[in-house]
Amino acid sequence: MNNLDKLPSKNILSLFMTCGFPSLSQSRKVFQTIQNNQPHIIEFGLPFSDPMADGLVIQEANKLALKKGLSTNQSINLIKSISKNKGDTSYVIMCYINTVIKYGVSQFIKSIKGTVDGMIIVDLPFEEEKDIREQLENNGIYLIKLISPMTDSNRAKRLLHKSKGFIYYISSTGITGSNKLNHKEINQNIKIIKKHSSIPVLVGFGIKSKNDVDSLSKKTLTDGVIIGSALIQMYFDLKMNFSNYLKSLDKFIKNLKIN
Amino acid sequence: MSNYNEPNKTGRFGQFGGMYVSETLMPLLIELDQAYSKIKKDKNFQKELKDLFNNYVGRPSPLFHAANISKYLNGPKVYFKRDELNHTGAHKINNCLGQILLAKKMGKTRIIAETGAGQHGVATATVCALFGLECHIYMGSKDIIRQKPNVFRMKLLGANIIPVESGSKSLKDAMNEALRDWIKNVRDTFYIIGSTAGPHPYPKMVRDFQSIIGIEARAQILVQEKKLPDFLIACVGGGSNAMGLFYPFLNDKKVSIIGVEAAGKGAKTNETAATMTSGTPGILHGSYSYVLQDSDGQIKEAHSISAGLDYPGVGPEHSHLKKSQRAKYFGITDKEALKAFQLCSKLEGIIPALEPSHALAYLFKAFKNKHKNKVVILNLCGRGDKDLFTAAKELGFDTDE
Ligand SMILES: Cc1ncc(COP(=O)(O)O)c(C=O)c1O
Repeated sequence: MNNLDKLPSKNILSLFMTCGFPSLSQSRKVFQTIQNNQPHIIEFGLPFSDPMADGLVIQEANKLALKKGLSTNQSINLIKSISKNKGDTSYVIMCYINTVIKYGVSQFIKSIKGTVDGMIIVDLPFEEEKDIREQLENNGIYLIKLISPMTDSNRAKRLLHKSKGFIYYISSTGITGSNKLNHKEINQNIKIIKKHSSIPVLVGFGIKSKNDVDSLSKKTLTDGVIIGSALIQMYFDLKMNFSNYLKSLDKFIKNLKIN
Repeated sequence: MSNYNEPNKTGRFGQFGGMYVSETLMPLLIELDQAYSKIKKDKNFQKELKDLFNNYVGRPSPLFHAANISKYLNGPKVYFKRDELNHTGAHKINNCLGQILLAKKMGKTRIIAETGAGQHGVATATVCALFGLECHIYMGSKDIIRQKPNVFRMKLLGANIIPVESGSKSLKDAMNEALRDWIKNVRDTFYIIGSTAGPHPYPKMVRDFQSIIGIEARAQILVQEKKLPDFLIACVGGGSNAMGLFYPFLNDKKVSIIGVEAAGKGAKTNETAATMTSGTPGILHGSYSYVLQDSDGQIKEAHSISAGLDYPGVGPEHSHLKKSQRAKYFGITDKEALKAFQLCSKLEGIIPALEPSHALAYLFKAFKNKHKNKVVILNLCGRGDKDLFTAAKELGFDTDE
């Protein structure tokens, strides 16, 4: 059973957080706080030394986690321990391909099977994905498709053929955390995506506030949003005071869920 | 024997290479690959590039019989392929001219590049000045300090230099930042990658533009020696000067090919840049190749006295040549390179860059009193001006006096 098949058709909330941030034990509390709010999707970021599609905030989170020696195994165990309260929440791992390759693709899949519903591999484009996608699907895990403003309709059609779970629409050309939201462009591209697929489309990159979420829901056909950098930025804004951070994070998420 | 025909359509050299980048870049890489395939066959493009090679760079570069070093070695007859005489002082300009012509054809108005030693940055800034394009160079802050003369050169040429403070503050991190810039500005920006690294089609394209080195050397040696060389030696950072020399000889099976990597403080230490000696296959900067990484696939910081070799990855074609045993790769330490840097200066009156000093050091180490009657071509791919401060410091010479 894959929780991603049970996603509602609208107002989907997906929250991204880096594993091991700011430390392994604190990270457990961060994810528990997120899980307690029962978002539809939690995206678990596996830290990588060279995250070329990430902006400063997620880079910094990766660096903090890795500085304390976080291993891939520790990240996977963390995800498993949180999953005791998983309920209907979908679990998605977001990572870079080298992490999976080095672990061994079949080993990796074996160790997340039954816990994780989907994977987003940032630097594994359509042209390189076949092998891994098939192995994931054989084990009931979906490879989530990323579509960017640079993806034209023909390419989107090919990419989205048989896509499962949800579609991750990258709000604009750029790295995580950075962009201004161009509602008109976003909506045009969501329309194109919806021509080629019937699964939910979520918008990510650069969504920072309840305001952003509301205006996206109002002005575009998006089925949901993905928030990442903003959840991490809060920690630095609070001068790295962890107990304040947990409270603010909880409040921020609760506020997002009010419609 | 079948003819060498790598990479395939998807950019694979054997099992290595490929295109591991985010979706935002994919459509552009595909467009770039198509544009490059088309331009490669375009007579006007070839003519324009040849004219620039001859009259702007000063090609062909000479093939010089290094008689003093040959005598010192009491071994093979050594020739230098003198790309250090090129305009801007290294082989990097060959590739930059090719790519900027392509950028213009594709209608791009903004150029970005990464640089380690600053040679690729200078070459990129140079071609941008020549063609009047906006130029932004990413450079690790550690390299900005150790390659100061090149930083000033780039500024004179009108480039904007963006210091990179992340990671090891050297070449790898400069490339990360350049890739991030490209993802943001993908519509108007052309990324001139400086080596045979990165996602397809870069490793192929950069190799092709650099292969003028080997094409000339092959013709020159056939005139001067009436036969092919027995050995080719070149230093390998990302691998562009080496591929440039090696590629036109790959089907000449009797020619032995040797790539020399920077082993820093030693290939077995943690302070090394000898990717193929000390690394394992993995994915960095968009291609599958050997990389220095830990057991979780986290990329390690490289170390070398030479900023141009200070890179934990290597171009995928070198990984393929290693795996298929068409070429052999060895590591040379900082110390050995510094010694060769001095010896070449004294014996031949040529001050080499620290990068080819690694190739020279291997020559001194492995060919002394050996391989008599053999012929070696060594790629002297850069001159040492940019390294004078670094070398002086290492050798205890006070440059302020
Ligand atoms: C003179 C010189 N040689 C070699 C290199 C290493 O690059 P590659 O291995 O691509 O030739 C550099 C890089 O900056 C360089 O400046």
